[in-house]
Amino acid sequence: MRQSMTAVLERDTTFDGEFATEPYEVAWATEARWFVQILALDHAVGLRLRTQISPDGITWCDYDDAEHVAAGVGVTSWPVREFGHWLRVRGSVDPGEGTVTARIYLAVKS
Amino acid sequence: MVAADPRLSRFRPLKRILAHDQFDSGTHGWCELIGNYNGKGDLATVDDHMRDFRPPQLSGCNFFDIGTHGAMSGTYALKLATRPIAGHTAVGIRRLTMSGRGLVQIEAYFTFKAEATTGDHGVDSFGGVEWDGNLHPSEAQFGAFTVATDICGDQGLRYHTVARYQNTDLDNRLSRRWMYPAVPEPTPREHVQGKVKLEYGADFTAPDPDDWHVFGAPQELCYNEVPTKVNWHYLRWRIDTAKRRNVELQVNDRVMDMSEVPVPPYAESYGSLENLLNFYFSVRTHAPVRNFLFLDSVLISVDW
Repeated sequence: MRQSMTAVLERDTTFDGEFATEPYEVAWATEARWFVQILALDHAVGLRLRTQISPDGITWCDYDDAEHVAAGVGVTSWPVREFGHWLRVRGSVDPGEGTVTARIYLAVKS
Repeated sequence: MVAADPRLSRFRPLKRILAHDQFDSGTHGWCELIGNYNGKGDLATVDDHMRDFRPPQLSGCNFFDIGTHGAMSGTYALKLATRPIAGHTAVGIRRLTMSGRGLVQIEAYFTFKAEATTGDHGVDSFGGVEWDGNLHPSEAQFGAFTVATDICGDQGLRYHTVARYQNTDLDNRLSRRWMYPAVPEPTPREHVQGKVKLEYGADFTAPDPDDWHVFGAPQELCYNEVPTKVNWHYLRWRIDTAKRRNVELQVNDRVMDMSEVPVPPYAESYGSLENLLNFYFSVRTHAPVRNFLFLDSVLISVDW
């Protein structure tokens, strides 16, 4: 049977400006999927997000050129594969002067 | 059978094994602890100091200098990781119930590390520890780890047993001592009743440092110089749920009598928790550096 895990990396966190999630180790997994659930917005449209990868959990680069836009209350999701051993997302509130309250799930599977 | 199996012979279990967790095969029910929330599932009602205990990770003990260190029993260990915020705590909990009363023992192979810091994020002196080619300031950037229980039975009588290794005090000075709290952990119900309100980063096990007391003698563990070397330590902790008492704690070659370490019960009874038997490990940073507690394997056994 395949192994799987859901990690809630941010839980009802209110973001302003730019942010990045905590480093998360996923060396055991083959596939992953981000779920970003926006719960509330204050003078903001949503979040702009990019997947990031790392060789060591300290230094990071973008996974690809894709920017994911989560706009309005609801869930946005995208998959990731061949990511190495660490994952996080970096993001920013759009537009920058507002705030967004969101939950960020990482669902990983062997 | 125990002696013939190297996965078990590294432990000294009581006669009935309830759980044997090696983290090459998943998290085995060790999960993030979170405080209680209201009937609408509104997580804003979770206590601030219990809303961010971080999801456990299955870690290959990967480091910037050598890559994968690996665990003691294979590639993966369970990693509890704090945020880089002084006072932040990560907690992994395992939830069982009791089908009897008597001796309960939890054993583990563990190690503890502060996150490696590189470049301008690093320092050559911290908490009075200077880098001299042997000692490394990272060792003073690790705060404390804790093993504890949450137990309830006999018409709602609830109590915790707790053992904490305080590596550094709150001023980041090496203290390397074992401690216990003299008060029970603040609960969400006490918050709802208006008795307590704690801030993010408060020490959830016992928030007042004056409530923590030393037991046993100071003990130096094997941090092994730098933040990227992992040496596995043995822990064996025995309690008695018939007497609601601690018994003893063994960590490597040190066995500490805990029979006189108090186990304060809650004054009021709790519902919905009959025969509760929870275990948790936690790690708390006293510095703006991520702290990690790695568990290679855990074994829980009882004499009932």
